[in-house]
Amino acid sequence: MSAPRGSVVFAGDDVEDDLSLLDILDHVLNKGVILRGNLIISLAGVDLVYVGLDVILTSVETAMRHIVAATLPPERK
Amino acid sequence: MAAQLTQHDDRVLYLYGISELLPAQMPKEIGVALAKIEAVECSGIVCWVSWVPRIDFEQNLARNMENLDWLAEASVAHQRAVSAIAKQTEILPARFGTVFHSETSLRQHVRGRTRNLKRDFERVRGADEWGIKVFGIPPQPALVPKVNSGKDYLKAKAALLPKRREAQNNNADLQKFEDALKRVARETAKVGNISSGQRGLAFQTSLLIKRRDQKKLESVLTKFSKGWENRRRIECTGPWPPYSFVSRTEGEESE
Repeated sequence: MSAPRGSVVFAGDDVEDDLSLLDILDHVLNKGVILRGNLIISLAGVDLVYVGLDVILTSVETAMRHIVAATLPPERK
Repeated sequence: MAAQLTQHDDRVLYLYGISELLPAQMPKEIGVALAKIEAVECSGIVCWVSWVPRIDFEQNLARNMENLDWLAEASVAHQRAVSAIAKQTEILPARFGTVFHSETSLRQHVRGRTRNLKRDFERVRGADEWGIKVFGIPPQPALVPKVNSGKDYLKAKAALLPKRREAQNNNADLQKFEDALKRVARETAKVGNISSGQRGLAFQTSLLIKRRDQKKLESVLTKFSKGWENRRRIECTGPWPPYSFVSRTEGEESE
């Protein structure tokens, strides 16, 4: 389901570049298993709505570059 | 293999999620903080973890969360790790930023939740999460007819306004869209408010869709997007691991 059809914009797993940090945060910060206890930190109530979209897009690009650079198999090895 | 983890004083255990079975192949991706993704068995359940620096994920977590560069890197790494695991075996994802001081504390907390976790595995089996957003496309500015004075211009402009408002306030079609999605989804979930400030966002939901029902979702999206041409735009992201469909037991609501 990755090709655009009509005015539906599809973005997914295989086209990671199209996912914005907003989308990622919407999902990874939304719920998920929360195992609570005094030794656990769970994040909630973090209000990121104020954050400008431009900033978020820039930072996700940087993040992707860092991660991709770190995960690429080093050719010199 | 699920091995005994070594304790590190300057590190904490970062939890990605929980699986029922150890997959035949371990995910090769690098996890959060460039740490290795490891599997540890707790009460017959597999916990996916990494040892991450204590200083970043415990002491300074709240502050780091406000640093967008840090947050972007960590959350993208979290998503990539969870997705990589999800490709090998079904996973109940943990929320970003769940850490434990030690393997003992991880085991204790998992043990206490085994029954709920088993139920959640049943809920998400064979299904993926999909994110749906609908944006309003701002109407093309209507042309003001030729007028002779500034006063006439303003009058003509004012006459166009109600039409525009009417078009924006008509949300009956969104309700129909939501109903159609509910018919193809196993479950729907409210999305967090992270992107609620996005310009033009009119509707947002997360869906739990059985893999064999993906075509149905696709046809609902195609149908509505055709009907909404030039008025609304649909954005669909996925498949995501089922982040939004893990239940919380009482007292576990976020604080």
